[in-house]
Amino acid sequence: MSGCRRMTVGLWTAAFLLLICGTAWAQNQTNPTTSAQAAPAPAMNAPLDVKAAQPPSADDLAKGDPSGTRTGTVNDVVVADPSKGLTLADTVNQAGQNRIAINFVWTLIAGFLVMFMQAGFALVETGLCRAKNANHTMMMNFMVYGFGLFAYWVCGFAFQMGGGGPYSTLGGANYLTSEHTLSFLGKTWGVFGTHGFFLTQGGSYDVAVMVLFLFQMVFMDTALTIVTGAAAERWKYIAFAISSLLMGALTYPLFANWAWGGGWLSQLGTNFGLGHGYADFAGSGVVHAVGGITALALSMLLGPRIGKYNRDGSPNAIPGHDIVLVLAGCFILAFGWFGFNPGSTLAASGNGALRIGSIAVNTMLAGCTGSFGAILYMWIRYGKPDASMSGNGLLAGLVAITAPSGFVNTIGAAVIGLIAGVLVCLSVEFVERVLKIDDPVGAISVHGTNGIWGVISVGLFADGTSNYGGSWNGVSGSVRGLFYGDPGQLVAQLIGVGTLLGFVFAFSYAANWLIDVIVGQRVSAEDELAGLDIPEMGALGYPDFVLKPETIPSGGSPVVAATVMPSYMSAD
Amino acid sequence: MKIVGILLVLIGWLVPVAALTVTQSMTARLILVLLGISISLFGVLWVLNKAHLKHAIWKS
Repeated sequence: MSGCRRMTVGLWTAAFLLLICGTAWAQNQTNPTTSAQAAPAPAMNAPLDVKAAQPPSADDLAKGDPSGTRTGTVNDVVVADPSKGLTLADTVNQAGQNRIAINFVWTLIAGFLVMFMQAGFALVETGLCRAKNANHTMMMNFMVYGFGLFAYWVCGFAFQMGGGGPYSTLGGANYLTSEHTLSFLGKTWGVFGTHGFFLTQGGSYDVAVMVLFLFQMVFMDTALTIVTGAAAERWKYIAFAISSLLMGALTYPLFANWAWGGGWLSQLGTNFGLGHGYADFAGSGVVHAVGGITALALSMLLGPRIGKYNRDGSPNAIPGHDIVLVLAGCFILAFGWFGFNPGSTLAASGNGALRIGSIAVNTMLAGCTGSFGAILYMWIRYGKPDASMSGNGLLAGLVAITAPSGFVNTIGAAVIGLIAGVLVCLSVEFVERVLKIDDPVGAISVHGTNGIWGVISVGLFADGTSNYGGSWNGVSGSVRGLFYGDPGQLVAQLIGVGTLLGFVFAFSYAANWLIDVIVGQRVSAEDELAGLDIPEMGALGYPDFVLKPETIPSGGSPVVAATVMPSYMSAD
Repeated sequence: MKIVGILLVLIGWLVPVAALTVTQSMTARLILVLLGISISLFGVLWVLNKAHLKHAIWKS
């Protein structure tokens, strides 16, 4: 036993010594004093002696770089003329390209996040519809991406951004500087851009233009997909396709040009002294209100679903088929919103772009207080913390903060979100019960009502601390709302609201009325009762499920199960 | 009635635009803009919507 104990002690001692020696050897290997580390940092204001920046030696590089201190050195600066070696011009050019590269990558990743919001919209809308329409609703959300993208590539982008350049944070896009203007009331009014068709016209075959196109395209597609929710369960697929093409080519780009592409709304500050002109940081108005107001026009034209209203005009609740999809979709949308708002700086470096941290926090906060507002309203009014309206409250808060996210502080963001959460509940009730307009997912209220609220809130809560390159819409200084001393900004925002109601609604209504005359907007009553999956798409969304049959009571409208309003809400 | 509704929507839009040159007073501009928005809302939510509800599917 003693021999065994001695052997055990010996083994432990040997292991301990091995550990000590191994650690010392490893430290010796991983912490060599490199020439790069030893190089003195150049003084900030002195001319750079680039030859003094000694690169790591070949021996150092051969050892690997576990600490990351020898990767990315003077060796990696691109040299224009190898015969001259590294010059000051090389380093300055590299610094400029690094800044633009950071902004490119930031804007692209933000655009990818916004693109992923399409999945969120698809889940929310499909979950809030009945199972018999799952394939049809999903396919509208799926193909709106393709229809919208195609129309935007052909002409939408040119109409929107063709006159708004150059875009300094992306290093130029200098070709996008041709805006068609009208002379009216003694002023020049930008109406639409004329450069950038097909992304090949003139100098639009350009890396900065491509980044801008991708980012703006996914915004446009968000506006288009809002409409599919309000028109769900009764919209002909062919009418949807034509309507989406028109909206991607004309409706959205025109308003977006007026707000973001150098058009007349953005010139209200320079032309008429109204604050900084219409200011919509990430699109409460441009994206969400345009989508929501188009949804209102289309819902009016389509009329309500069969069974939504009784003969006395009282509404029936038509619950959606999967609340799990709805709330999962809301989370995806909230995630994507971090691309929507912070990405709208089009930069992460320079021009005040580090405010992306503040913008991201504002986005989180407004979504949070939006869901608070909705859940509290529903809980107090109906005695239950309703799930679908909590989701809509989250989205309402996010919609409302989209325009002011770059201009307000966290208190403003929280208040804006809280009001949006209550507002969406009131608006859903108003639209359903007073207007008697059927909106299966609450898109009019979430995006239309709260998009307008977001636009107005810029004119109230903008605190004058933002600084995106020293000016906004050509007016120097920061955007300030009424509460921070600039009533003119509120007037500019309200003119934007008037334009959303006046132009966007009238244009959308007329365009969709025309489609109704040519191909018809609404499916037949038989198809609607059967569910649109088979008549419109040729396949069921859930082929293995047995769907509940419809019942038609004698002498009345068919009563079906299925909306955003739960059954206990229709009791009063 | 539908055409009247759409006309009201458009008139409501032109009022705030015209207000830009009619007066320099910020208060007057604010009042005119709010008036224009009210006209547009009346056209959409009352006149046009009522015209659509006249033949609503649930009334048949």
